[in-house]
Amino acid sequence: MNPPAPLLDPELAAFLEGGVSINVGARDSHRIPTLARALGCRVSTDRTRVTVFLSRRQASPLLEAIADNGAVAIVFTEPHSHRAIQIKAADAREVPLDPGDAHRVEAYRQAFVTEVGRLGFPEPLIRALLAAPLEDLTAVAFTPDSAHLQTPGPQAGAPLAGAR
Amino acid sequence: MKLRADALRDCMDGAVPGVLCTCSADGIPNVAQLSQVQYVDPDHVALSYQFFNHTRRNVLANPRVAMILVHPWTARQYRFSMEYLRTETSGPLFECMRAKLAGIASHTGMSGVFRLLGSDVYRVLEIEALPGESLPAPARDLCLLAALRACSEAFSACGDLAALLEAALDGLARHFDLHHAMVLLLDAAGDRLYTVASRGYEASGVGAEIPVGQGIIGVAAREGVPIRIGHMTSEYTYGRAIRETVGQGVLADRLETEIPLPGLAAPGSQLAVPIQGPAGPLGVLFMESPAELRFTYDDEDAAVVFASHLGTAIRLLQADAEVPDELLPSAEPSVAGGRPVVVRHYTENDSVFLDGEYLIKGVAGSILWALLRDHLALGRTDFTNRELRLDPRVRLPDVSDNLEARLVLLGRRLEERGACIRLQKTGRGRFRLQVGCPLELADGPGKVATPG
Repeated sequence: MNPPAPLLDPELAAFLEGGVSINVGARDSHRIPTLARALGCRVSTDRTRVTVFLSRRQASPLLEAIADNGAVAIVFTEPHSHRAIQIKAADAREVPLDPGDAHRVEAYRQAFVTEVGRLGFPEPLIRALLAAPLEDLTAVAFTPDSAHLQTPGPQAGAPLAGAR
Repeated sequence: MKLRADALRDCMDGAVPGVLCTCSADGIPNVAQLSQVQYVDPDHVALSYQFFNHTRRNVLANPRVAMILVHPWTARQYRFSMEYLRTETSGPLFECMRAKLAGIASHTGMSGVFRLLGSDVYRVLEIEALPGESLPAPARDLCLLAALRACSEAFSACGDLAALLEAALDGLARHFDLHHAMVLLLDAAGDRLYTVASRGYEASGVGAEIPVGQGIIGVAAREGVPIRIGHMTSEYTYGRAIRETVGQGVLADRLETEIPLPGLAAPGSQLAVPIQGPAGPLGVLFMESPAELRFTYDDEDAAVVFASHLGTAIRLLQADAEVPDELLPSAEPSVAGGRPVVVRHYTENDSVFLDGEYLIKGVAGSILWALLRDHLALGRTDFTNRELRLDPRVRLPDVSDNLEARLVLLGRRLEERGACIRLQKTGRGRFRLQVGCPLELADGPGKVATPG
């Protein structure tokens, strides 16, 4: 039996790992939502798994909700183009950082500073927004079930071409 | 102290977009970036409803949501726990958000995509300041309370409406660093606003009219709510639209009887605040700036208080002007020489033309016509506000109409046109007509009638 084809194509994987705004939502056992801003993203080489990085202190209710039921929604938004992709998964769980993830977080900060710098946001503001001590970093990994276009407009919510 | 929404209004002005997480009935979360968050009161905020999407479906099924806002100066993040209450599709909140959204849409290249279907009102249950790095908040370069105090003191010292309007526009420039502003008053018939004073424009535009409901000034008057736009949009600018509303009715309306509304060619920010009276707005105070995001929620608060003081002062002076000082005997009318000026009046809309050039219409036009007729027939030069109010020839739309404002408007128009006719204030509720040239009065389009 062949493994299923990955939901994400290479272009989309590169988009998720770029200088985009990343927000992760989850909900507790009473269906009360919570969310946190992520500090970067890693897509596995076979593009079936996605890992996002978070500040543990900022995301503690989110991590508790994920531990409870594993349901997540993550929106990746490119500020200058408004292009936005929402990914959903049911199997999210907190995982340790891989070697190299701390570098990924730092590379992400630089990419995001560059991206929103084009829109006039000052670097110190963005650095403060994305700051977190190394020991505070954690990761959440999941297998995407769906990916939807979220760019504002009538097409918002449409499944991506190639998405299941 | 518990964090409340009023302390975080700067976060709602949208420099960094807010993010909302909702959850469906079957437990699937959904995240959406917000285009607009509107402060309602310390315990409520409103979000724009523009599309029927996952967010909409979810809040109707499960009202609990989470929202993150970022402070635009400090970068501090705030997580709001909220509960959806209702959707408003008309009224002040809706109109205020609709006007703002049009500005946001234009700024972000989303015109034609963003259209407000409703204002979703949420109760704020809890706000959490997230741990993390933050920058110091910059101090404001002017103190709004001190500016308000100075203006309020200046208002109290004004003895008549003309002085009050000057003090208001002076105060905005000196104390608030706002150099483009105008005051418009509501015609008592309630369907139009007329410009009675302005500052910072090439032409004063005094006498220019706007229908209630049109543009941010007209919407502010209709809804009785401040409208503040940080990114200007053509949707709410004036100009052509005003012209289009002029009917193709009577002859006088087809003549050039429009005074263009003043305004910046490329405004970045605008703020229109109703001047409240006891039974609805008396008019609108309008301010603009070439800079984007010039007005904050705090500026809006200050402008509302400023306009409230201005409204109270206008009403006090109005009541005062209806009780004239004792009438002095009329000065001898001076006999002026030179070429006569033809003053033509059209009854349909009380428009008045001097030597074929439009001067004024409406109530101010009927006042001038009555004054000139009495002047030529009876030799009178001194008049009181009270007699004008009782004069059946002066078509005041309502007993509450601000007659003094009409006289200020008429006086300014005569000055700006360099006319040989002037109004001079001679005391409380009294004024003198000064005529520096021979006049010929003509009623309607026909031949010049031989004046008395």
